[in-house]
Amino acid sequence: MTLKECYAALNGDYEEAMGRLRSERLVQKFVLKFLDDGSFDLLCRSMEAGDQPEAFRAAHTIKGVCANMAFSALLESSSQLTELLRAGDMGDQAQELFQRVKADYAKTAQAIQAFREEAGG
Amino acid sequence: MKNRITRFLLTSLIGVALLCVCVFTFFAIHMGNQSAATINQVGTLYMSSMSQQTSVHFESIIGIQMNQLRALVGTIPSDIIHSDQGLQQQLMAQAKARDFAYLGFYGNDGSFEMLYGSQLTVTDPEPFLDSLRKDQQKVAIGTDAQGEKVVLLGMPSPHPSTPEHDCAALVAGLPVSYISSNLSLEENNERAYSFIIRRDGSFVIRSNDAYRNNYFERVRVLYDDVNGITADEYLEELEAAMVRGVDYSNEFTMGGERYHLYCTRLPYSEWYLITFLPYGSMDSIVTGFSHEWSSLTILSGTIILTALLLVFYKYYGLTRQQLQEVEEARQAAEAAQKEAEHANRAKSEFLSNMSHDIRTPMNAIVGMTAIAIANLKDPQQVHNCLKKITLSSKHLLGLINDVLDMSKIESGKMTLNMDQVSLREVMDGIVAICQPQVKAKRQQFDVFIHDISTENVLCDSVRLNQVLLNLLSNAIKFTPEGGEIHMALYEEPSPKGDNFVRIHIEVKDTGIGMSRDFQKHIFDSFAREDSARVYRTEGTGLGMAITKYIVVDAMGGTIEMDSEQGKGTRFCVTLDLEKAQVMEEDMILPSWNMLVVDDDRLLCETTVAALNSIGISADWTLDGESAVDMVIKRHNRGDDYQIILLDWKLPGMDGIATARSIRRELGDKVPILLISAYDWGEIEGKAKEAGITGFIAKPLFKSTLFNSLRQFTEPLQVGEKPPEKKGPDLRGRRVLVAEDNELNWEIASELLSAEGLELTWAENGQTCVEMFEQSPVGYFEAILMDIRMPIMGGYEATQVIRTLERPDRDLPIIAMTADAFAEDVKRSLDCGMNAHIAKPIDVQEVLRLLDKYLK
Repeated sequence: MTLKECYAALNGDYEEAMGRLRSERLVQKFVLKFLDDGSFDLLCRSMEAGDQPEAFRAAHTIKGVCANMAFSALLESSSQLTELLRAGDMGDQAQELFQRVKADYAKTAQAIQAFREEAGG
Repeated sequence: MKNRITRFLLTSLIGVALLCVCVFTFFAIHMGNQSAATINQVGTLYMSSMSQQTSVHFESIIGIQMNQLRALVGTIPSDIIHSDQGLQQQLMAQAKARDFAYLGFYGNDGSFEMLYGSQLTVTDPEPFLDSLRKDQQKVAIGTDAQGEKVVLLGMPSPHPSTPEHDCAALVAGLPVSYISSNLSLEENNERAYSFIIRRDGSFVIRSNDAYRNNYFERVRVLYDDVNGITADEYLEELEAAMVRGVDYSNEFTMGGERYHLYCTRLPYSEWYLITFLPYGSMDSIVTGFSHEWSSLTILSGTIILTALLLVFYKYYGLTRQQLQEVEEARQAAEAAQKEAEHANRAKSEFLSNMSHDIRTPMNAIVGMTAIAIANLKDPQQVHNCLKKITLSSKHLLGLINDVLDMSKIESGKMTLNMDQVSLREVMDGIVAICQPQVKAKRQQFDVFIHDISTENVLCDSVRLNQVLLNLLSNAIKFTPEGGEIHMALYEEPSPKGDNFVRIHIEVKDTGIGMSRDFQKHIFDSFAREDSARVYRTEGTGLGMAITKYIVVDAMGGTIEMDSEQGKGTRFCVTLDLEKAQVMEEDMILPSWNMLVVDDDRLLCETTVAALNSIGISADWTLDGESAVDMVIKRHNRGDDYQIILLDWKLPGMDGIATARSIRRELGDKVPILLISAYDWGEIEGKAKEAGITGFIAKPLFKSTLFNSLRQFTEPLQVGEKPPEKKGPDLRGRRVLVAEDNELNWEIASELLSAEGLELTWAENGQTCVEMFEQSPVGYFEAILMDIRMPIMGGYEATQVIRTLERPDRDLPIIAMTADAFAEDVKRSLDCGMNAHIAKPIDVQEVLRLLDKYLK
């Protein structure tokens, strides 16, 4: 699996990422690092704990990272969640969006995992 | 059509000419006849009057003689009975005084009693006696004793001596010559002549040539023709006229000559005067007139005929001209039709070619897509298919672009967007585009710029590029591996005036060339030489048609071509371009001494000239070895060249080897620049290693040289690559980055460090404030601040920093956050930040803002 294909799998914009980071090496480096990023864990924990400020900050961070990495799908759902949390909404709608973010994250993580395995192998 | 008219004209001309001839002939004949009739009439008139005159003359002569005779008779007394000698003597004396040759008494019985003269005999006594007996005077003819003819005048008279003697008259005789001479019968100067005959035809007085005694006999023998009747018939008519006592007039031919005859009776006698007039004399007058008339007729006929001919000729000419015009119009119409047919055919061919040319790559795309789908599991295969699809798509795109251009051209909608164009940039661009292809085919590629004084012109750069790219890519395409491609640009004054400059662009290759036959069609749409050699070469066949349109029709230039199969092709485009009305940058450099090394003399000379024009004096040489010598010589004099320009491809020692030698001799201090039309990238490593400082890409415009050399006006570390100045130069600036997310930090760090910034990471606002507090004053020149951070957010951190007791507390702080709402921006600024940047990070924007606030 190529990096481009990985992007395609996680519904990202490879061209945008390349445009920003300028080399495949850098894109690959950051993509692989994304799995190590703790923001998602923080979001999950905060959501479960009902910690709205932390959850907001975590969602916000995910949104920022995804924007930099051009992970379009996850960026979309995390942005929406960020706005809900910013408004202090921790209700059903936020939970629903959180599920979507989780799904998108899972998909993204899965694609990166697959890519990492191939690149590593 | 033409023949018909010509035939008609010819026929009518001949017809009218014939008619003319007929009419004039008729006139001539008619006038001839008329003149004959006139001659006849005139002759008759003339003859009758002449005869009348002669007759009157005769009467008067005879009358005189008769009176004389009457006077004699009067002397005879009526009472004389016997012959009286005295009286006879008296009569004789008086008669002789009156010139009578003969005198005597004529008796009733017809006997003569002569008084003097010899005995006379009356030739025809009966009518004579008859008249005398009736007491009438009479003239008759008689003969004397010698047989001489005598004219007898008889005057009734009694006999003086013997009254019983039956005496009828006194008769006097005169010689015939007396009458003929007095009547001038012979001496007629008009060739008319007369004679006198009696009723039986015997001559009383005859003409000289008439030897016969009788006119009638003469007529029977001599006359050829008398006005269409025989001589006998004529004589009958004549005799009848004589008997009736009327005049008679006729014509006849005698001895080949025509005569007019007139007969009239003479008084006192039984005689008839016949007068002849030969036609000749009168005819000559009338004929002369008639001839004149004929000549006039013929002349006028000729004139009219000539006029007719002239008119016909003119008309014929006009008709021919008209016919020719009609013919021309017809040909023009035919040509137009042919052209239309040709255009139609061309259109059909175009469509057929189009559909073929479009279908081919389309088929490839469709087919490859199908194969790729069938082989989804085999990435290698799919990759291969996609590569081919990409190629076909590119080809198809090129084709469609060309077709669109073509249709723009054909509908006349292609217009030029005239703009200021730098020929240097155009050439640089073309060379850059073509380098990969040239490199792939390992072709020798060189670009020459000769004496270009006007770099900036008004032209449509897109179209100019298109033309050059087309020519150059054709050259590359049709030149085999290892072949040579030369591109040259030179200028000369334009005939269009001082505001224009004439640019020649020459593209020359050592490729496969074109056949003579194909050269004629090279500028046609879809023209590709149909041979196995070009079969595999891709192309739409529209390029040259478009090129020609752009150069010739749109830009008003010319395009020339030389080609020989197997030898190569040369295209030369000539354009008159308006000079751009801009002040060219004042390009002056320090008065360095430079050395230019290139194997092309022209390039050396033009480069040196260009260098001189920007204030640099330069030497040049054609090869590496002499270059090294020159450098050493100058070095020994202590007068080193400040900069050396070296061509890469040199005969013998190449540019890199030369550079190496020079470095060995001089060390590192003199910049050595490589000049080449090749890509710097492919030789950079080797060049740097050999101690080459930098690179100037051909073509060498004045501005190219200026811009490349300008950097050496400030001392620069030898061997260091000049920085790429894409954005503002922020190298070495220290920036503190507050960012809680490691990934984001790393991205920012990676991107900004590449621009030469020195970044320090603070994990949250708190850390950020602490790090800033602990840093020496002025160490950090700016802060990039995330907003959402644990422990302390960006807003608070900014507020804290702004309230610190430090001289650099108001350093630029730029918010860098995923929040991009207007209220976020506002809040950032409210907290004392200088600017706001939304994530994802945009390096250029960050640099721009940093540059802005760091000044």
